[in-house]
Amino acid sequence: MSAAPPDNDVLWARGIVKSHHGTPALRGISLGVREGEVLAVTGPRGSGKSTLLGCLSAQLPVDEGEVWFNSAPVHTLNRAGRERLRRDRFGFVGSEPHLVPELTARENVALPLLLAGAGNKAAYTAADEWLERLDVGDFARHRPDRLVQSQRQRVSVARALAPLPPVVFADDPTAPLHREATDQVLRILTSAARSHQLTLVLATHDPELVRFADRAVALVDGRLTAPAAPVPRGTSGAPAVTATRR
Amino acid sequence: MFYLRLARGYRVPDLGRWLLTALAAAVVAAFLLRSLGRAMSDPLGGADPLVRLLWCLPPLAAVAWFAAVAARSVPARRPERIAGLTAAGAGSRRIRALIAGEVALACTLGSVLTLLAFLVLRNDIAGPSLAPDLGMGVPLPPAAPVTLLALVPLTAGISAACAVPVAEDLPGGRTRRRTDFGVWRIALPIGLGVIGAALELIALRPGAAADGRPIHLPAGLGTTSTAALGGWAAGALGLALLTGPLLAWAGRLLALGRPTPLRLLAGRGLTAQAPRLGAPLAILTLAVALVLTTIRYWIGTPGSADALPAVEACLVLGCAAAAVIARLAEVHTDRRDVTEVLLRLGTSPRLLFGAVALRTLAVGTTLLLTGGATAALAAAGLR
Repeated sequence: MSAAPPDNDVLWARGIVKSHHGTPALRGISLGVREGEVLAVTGPRGSGKSTLLGCLSAQLPVDEGEVWFNSAPVHTLNRAGRERLRRDRFGFVGSEPHLVPELTARENVALPLLLAGAGNKAAYTAADEWLERLDVGDFARHRPDRLVQSQRQRVSVARALAPLPPVVFADDPTAPLHREATDQVLRILTSAARSHQLTLVLATHDPELVRFADRAVALVDGRLTAPAAPVPRGTSGAPAVTATRR
Repeated sequence: MFYLRLARGYRVPDLGRWLLTALAAAVVAAFLLRSLGRAMSDPLGGADPLVRLLWCLPPLAAVAWFAAVAARSVPARRPERIAGLTAAGAGSRRIRALIAGEVALACTLGSVLTLLAFLVLRNDIAGPSLAPDLGMGVPLPPAAPVTLLALVPLTAGISAACAVPVAEDLPGGRTRRRTDFGVWRIALPIGLGVIGAALELIALRPGAAADGRPIHLPAGLGTTSTAALGGWAAGALGLALLTGPLLAWAGRLLALGRPTPLRLLAGRGLTAQAPRLGAPLAILTLAVALVLTTIRYWIGTPGSADALPAVEACLVLGCAAAAVIARLAEVHTDRRDVTEVLLRLGTSPRLLFGAVALRTLAVGTTLLLTGGATAALAAAGLR
């Protein structure tokens, strides 16, 4: 098999192996993510979802295997290169909001834009817009310690979406939310992804949330099990399944 | 036994803190024993022994201050240990007792070593120059040194116990730290500053020489007038209390207008940390200003320098500096999560480093202002 990834995959991984201090977390994952698709990675706790997202989003270096983004290798990048990639191309929502406590909600959302060199006005306008869209516009000037957890998580989603990165990684983003908020946040995430042609990789332990995705793969003990059937979607052309079992 | 097992997990910073506490306690114990020896060898009705004992208070307070700040930083710096202890069933009272006990143990060790040295030196080993300080030739009532030396571990242990955060502030608990200063915390120091400035003006008015200088200052600093001393005390206290709010305002100033990410992170970070950094930095600044003024006076007035106040000043400065370092370490570990988030967002380490540098510059400028004003007030009264 040649090293070059297929052209139509925005993210492409082959045979990723990763262990944490000797405990294997990923045991050979091969996966392709199409541009503009919403891919759900499901699996119970400890199945390696977070590690997989970490490897794909250039946060964790892989032990073995390859990760490609837009036909450029990620696994060979040094720390600074991975930093730049994360800043300019990826957005990330974790299961905890992880906001900067001393910044207000809108400053938190504007920060990635400012870091990427956007002008002040553009950054704050985008921040206000996204906060509004996520129903936390009234709290834009509040610091995180004055928000409740679900509001913080919305701010964190806004922060990931505001720079409109080509790929957004969401690692169990609905963990701190209750049912209603879960549906709303996921709807916003997926509709933002679809309307702006963003690729969304969504890890979740809740198999029900697969309905928000175009396609789902299941992870058990660091291995991909037989990929789930493509989720039927109103729009045409559900992408072909590219996940393979090693 | 349980405590000794815990001590096996010590790392270099913990050991350093422990040794520093023991060393500082040893020096304070030496001051206390010297005042005891003097009291024993001086004839009754001689120089006031109480004054000499009172002179031991600043170093004792410095050790207690360092013990308190260091004890407060322990849970924040070793959250995994506190989490482990909590999981094993130790409540906040037990954790508090453990940390305070550790401080008291260090102080006891230092005091006992000093006592041993004192007893050894009393056996005609020290020359005649030291004899009056050791109370040589006078029988030593055993209760006296024990009572005096119990003061050190007791004071340090109690202040440490009071400083350990309560259960819900421990790592893992829900915390809502104060990030702003109340009105009174700004009004009080400004009021004190105004009173201090007014008193100082009275002391410096053209006809002030007629007032006389009735107050004898310690450490060979000569005499001063009541108004000058009162003005300095009020002004210095006001400036010290104002340090925290000033730091917060410096942070606001940094992030004013349309800040770049560098200014935003540096400024907002400084504002958020000001309530925690204010007190230790204020005390260090006060100590440095006082010591520098004294040194300047000593240089200007030959023959006024004194060895004991110099040792005392070194101890107080050391404790104040160590307290600042302990607090900085606490803030640093507390912010590990934030740093991680910022790095994950793609912030370059260079930007984070720049923010720290900018913050340090702002803190330095603020402290130079308050410290300079404190020193100027002190120098004005010393002419």
